[in-house]
Amino acid sequence: MDGTIEFTMGLSEGYAWPWPIAVYLFFAGISGGALTLALCLRFFKGQTENTPFLKAASLVSLVTIALGMICLVFDLTNPLFFWKMLVFYNLNSVMSIGVIALSAYIPLVALVALFALEEEVRAIKQLQFLVPVLDALRKFRSPAEKLTLVLALSVCAYTGFLISALIRFPLINTSVLPALFVASGLSAGGAAAKMLAVGMFKEDLHSSEMKLLHGAEWPIMFFEALFIFMIAISLMTGNAGAQYAFSAFVEGTWATLFWVGVVGIGFGGPLLLNFATGKTFSHSAQAFYMSGVCALSGMMCLRMFVLYAGQYYAI
Amino acid sequence: MSEILERRRFLKGVGACSLLMAPLGCTSVKEESDGAYKPHYVMVFDQNKCVGCGDCKGACNKANDLPEGVSKVLLEQQSGRVEGEPCPHCGKMECGCERKFVRVSCQQCKNAPCVAVCPTGAAHKDPKTGVVTMDDSKCAGCKYCIGACPYNARFINANTDVADNCDFCLENKLSKGELPACVQACRYDALVFGDANDPNSFVSRLLAVKDSVRIKAHMGTEPSLRYIPIVKLGV
Repeated sequence: MDGTIEFTMGLSEGYAWPWPIAVYLFFAGISGGALTLALCLRFFKGQTENTPFLKAASLVSLVTIALGMICLVFDLTNPLFFWKMLVFYNLNSVMSIGVIALSAYIPLVALVALFALEEEVRAIKQLQFLVPVLDALRKFRSPAEKLTLVLALSVCAYTGFLISALIRFPLINTSVLPALFVASGLSAGGAAAKMLAVGMFKEDLHSSEMKLLHGAEWPIMFFEALFIFMIAISLMTGNAGAQYAFSAFVEGTWATLFWVGVVGIGFGGPLLLNFATGKTFSHSAQAFYMSGVCALSGMMCLRMFVLYAGQYYAI
Repeated sequence: MSEILERRRFLKGVGACSLLMAPLGCTSVKEESDGAYKPHYVMVFDQNKCVGCGDCKGACNKANDLPEGVSKVLLEQQSGRVEGEPCPHCGKMECGCERKFVRVSCQQCKNAPCVAVCPTGAAHKDPKTGVVTMDDSKCAGCKYCIGACPYNARFINANTDVADNCDFCLENKLSKGELPACVQACRYDALVFGDANDPNSFVSRLLAVKDSVRIKAHMGTEPSLRYIPIVKLGV
């Protein structure tokens, strides 16, 4: 008799949180990450004009958080129950605090996007009704942006805290997860906003701002890899439950997803495209877009891996 | 003269102090008297007595109006046999003859993760009995509680579309002074239910003389379900 008494059956069926939650974590990470980078640049460089990167980041941020909310609502057993989340609160619950943060964050992102895209809004006839709103709220721009920066980082971290509260899953229940999700949110959010800045808002591929962002990509990626390494090591050297969860990295479908998707595409892709190819190619638009798509796919794979492998290797 | 003043000041001080202290004293008394008697309902599952008939599951299904074939309690059959050796009971290499079952249901944690994570307060502790139960009208169906439960003992009730757990039949039986449906249905006394805070209750006296264990106690959830495991006899 090993231990005393145990059971392995469960009353729930399948995964409590399936892929729409992974997609939501992905979108919320991009939204927070893109806006954090753009607003940091704006504050530290003292920008007063609307740069193409700010425009792109605020648009990406608004669209992704909206899509994320759709995923979230449709993962409820009954999407029509959504109003209950907005009416009843429990401040002990990470999710409830997240609901409060998101209900401040989403309108603020819309406001920040409205200011950043002022030119475009004025140019589009159908959006003329927004112009008086813009004029009325102009004096709140700076405080709104500062608050949004704090909330954007919080939303990034919140996606990590949300799932790290699940004590049944050793791979998920780690203190490093929020930091990992902030880092991967920054790299994927930055990649998405950069692509949109170049593709839609005609930013020069080699402008000083783009150079700065390209440079920031590598340290962020280093920390992402470091955090994953920390989680893996703590599981490998942990107790029986942790050791069991460590097999997520070495065997089965989820290990393949991790090594091919997260490490191969997410880390290897951008590294190879930038350092293993000739200078003409690595500085070309194709390399830029391919590298961005790799970063985004890697991040999606990471969220899928953490959520599915995490829930699969339960204690 | 100065002596009189001193005395006057002293009396004033005493008056002021008593005025200040009186309400403080009252609050502390209040806190103490606030502790009205609270039961701690526990369920004991005796593995030595359970034969795995499944009557508890049927009774649960009926008492809680659950969909066909669903119950808030499951029985897991286990085996104490050594791999590769014949069964000590029947001698066969492969059999399912061993009557060794474990009740799988909500462990009614005192420190319940489902209650902590529920964003709406739908999963809550009944203030009167301390039993972990559901307020269906508040549940949004986010399934956070299902992921958070270290026992995987919560599920979505297909009739209501919201999360559900074994709450000792709180509404249908316990509040009417009846025992939970599974306890009533068990013909072998494998289930004992009662108030562990009452030293004279049967369950308290049983736990005082029997060795019982809690499942995954190291998770710090302080479960209220106790198990009396089958132990090998003789040396």
